[in-house]
Amino acid sequence: MKGNTHWLLSATLVVGGLFFAATCSAQVTLEVMNPRGEIPPPKTLGISPRGGSLDGKKIVLIDNGKFGASNFLDALADMVKQKYPTATIVMYPKPAAQTITDLPKWYPTVKQQGDLFVFGVGD
Amino acid sequence: MPGVYFTTTEFLDDAKSAAKDRGMPEIRMLALPANTYYVGRASKQQLQPIADVFFDKMIDALTRPLTAEEAKPSQAQQLHEDANIKVTGRDFLDASEKVNDLFLSNHWADGLPVVPPTPELVKAMEAETKRSPKDVIGQVAPKNGTATVEKIAINAVMAGAKPEYFPVILAAMEGFTNKHYDLTHVQASTGSFTPVVLVDGPIAQELGFNSGIGMLGHGWRANSTVGRALRLALLNIGQTWPQVNDMALTGRLEAYTFYTFAEDTAKSPWEPYNVSQGFQAGDSTVTVSSSGNPVIFGGGAVAPWTAQGVIDQVVTQIRNRGVVWPHAQKHILVLHPDCAVELANHSYTRRSLQEYLYEQTRVPYEKLASHVSFGQGTEEDFIRASIADGRIRPDRAQIFLDNLKPGGRVPVVQSPDDFHIVVAGGSPGYDLLFTYPGTNWAHQTVKIASATPMKSGK
Repeated sequence: MKGNTHWLLSATLVVGGLFFAATCSAQVTLEVMNPRGEIPPPKTLGISPRGGSLDGKKIVLIDNGKFGASNFLDALADMVKQKYPTATIVMYPKPAAQTITDLPKWYPTVKQQGDLFVFGVGD
Repeated sequence: MPGVYFTTTEFLDDAKSAAKDRGMPEIRMLALPANTYYVGRASKQQLQPIADVFFDKMIDALTRPLTAEEAKPSQAQQLHEDANIKVTGRDFLDASEKVNDLFLSNHWADGLPVVPPTPELVKAMEAETKRSPKDVIGQVAPKNGTATVEKIAINAVMAGAKPEYFPVILAAMEGFTNKHYDLTHVQASTGSFTPVVLVDGPIAQELGFNSGIGMLGHGWRANSTVGRALRLALLNIGQTWPQVNDMALTGRLEAYTFYTFAEDTAKSPWEPYNVSQGFQAGDSTVTVSSSGNPVIFGGGAVAPWTAQGVIDQVVTQIRNRGVVWPHAQKHILVLHPDCAVELANHSYTRRSLQEYLYEQTRVPYEKLASHVSFGQGTEEDFIRASIADGRIRPDRAQIFLDNLKPGGRVPVVQSPDDFHIVVAGGSPGYDLLFTYPGTNWAHQTVKIASATPMKSGK
């Protein structure tokens, strides 16, 4: 009886070991490569300092050319004139063929015309 | 110069992403409520309640002193994307599933299962070019990701492309990253623009591209996986994602494989398309272009048609459509072989057909629109503005100016070259018109030159 118990215990350990080994050996590890492109970080810049009131300032309202933007900017312009009568509004339609990434082409014109700008309405 | 940028709620993430990409993450932005702005923008009166709400916020954004971070934000650091990833599963299928889950959750896949890009498979892909894995093909908009040979190969593996397709994929990526291809617009626009990928020359037949019945459909591995490789490469290398910085409002037709097909040079009555673009007969090329939703002409198998009738329909379509950027369009007209042969029998060459289309689609001055849908003013105002800002090329401007008067006939394209005539399709077949609102902004033909020698010798 004792011998039978030893045999049964041994057999169980062997079968269990084989099952464990089989389970372990069936695992698969895939090494895969990252498909993403690396992005050269742009030089990070702060935004222009600001402070004080709009009184006496020239505000350039840049219309990005999307339908309705001029209506929204017109509404803002009316409110500026009403609340800041000494401020000046300059309407500037962004050249349609140029994007915001073409800033060097059209930003100097904006800068010449005013002290502050409002751009809209982006999508 | 202090400023504030207005966008809408649906585009705020996109705007922030773009600001970060351009190195100005702290730009002050105000997001108008999209659900009321777009429906109300037809008039100032309708927008007044929104302006009332945002006026004080605008004043605050223009005048409030900067925080330290706004004045001097932390320099963006290079994020490295070169480490391999190890994924373990119960078996291959389980591991593969985990790779797919990981890639999709990282926004590295297109939603369909991808082939796990193991180094072995990527190396086999790279073996089809003489270029080094680290060679840079170009920068991919909108985030300016660096497209190396290796990165493109990884995406080609994911797409299920055969290694022998790789030279086509590489050449196409050269086209997409060319500085004259407006990839930012094609990748990010709210319009459903979709790349058109045309393979031309001996390599098309050798690799098994379909140029006949079903040419834009499924079932041909070359068409499907070359297109998908490009889809994945643009997505991953340019780092785009829908609702984040790919803002195509209804998505893109053929989103997974693009419009990828080959010209049927054997059945064409004319020289191959790439010869018309200045390449040598026998050259293999890939043309990458872009289009809105294509329009189908002809009778196919169900109705009678004539070649001249098809061309007349095309003319009517182009003259009547209210495209948002008139007079700076580009068209790819894909004629099925029977139609092309019929036209050739009526003495049309590719060039004379281009010139015919150019002349016939001109719009009488008196019929120019009283307003344009993009921007303000009349169509004439828009044309004059297009001349002033360079969208209409200086060498073609005088033709427009000469016709902006009573009795004038104003071209809808800048030159006959803006009609690209290609022969492909079935017999019977339909004819397809791909249209893009920007001449030469998204159209490049590239010689497939980086291939190892193939049977075609190209």
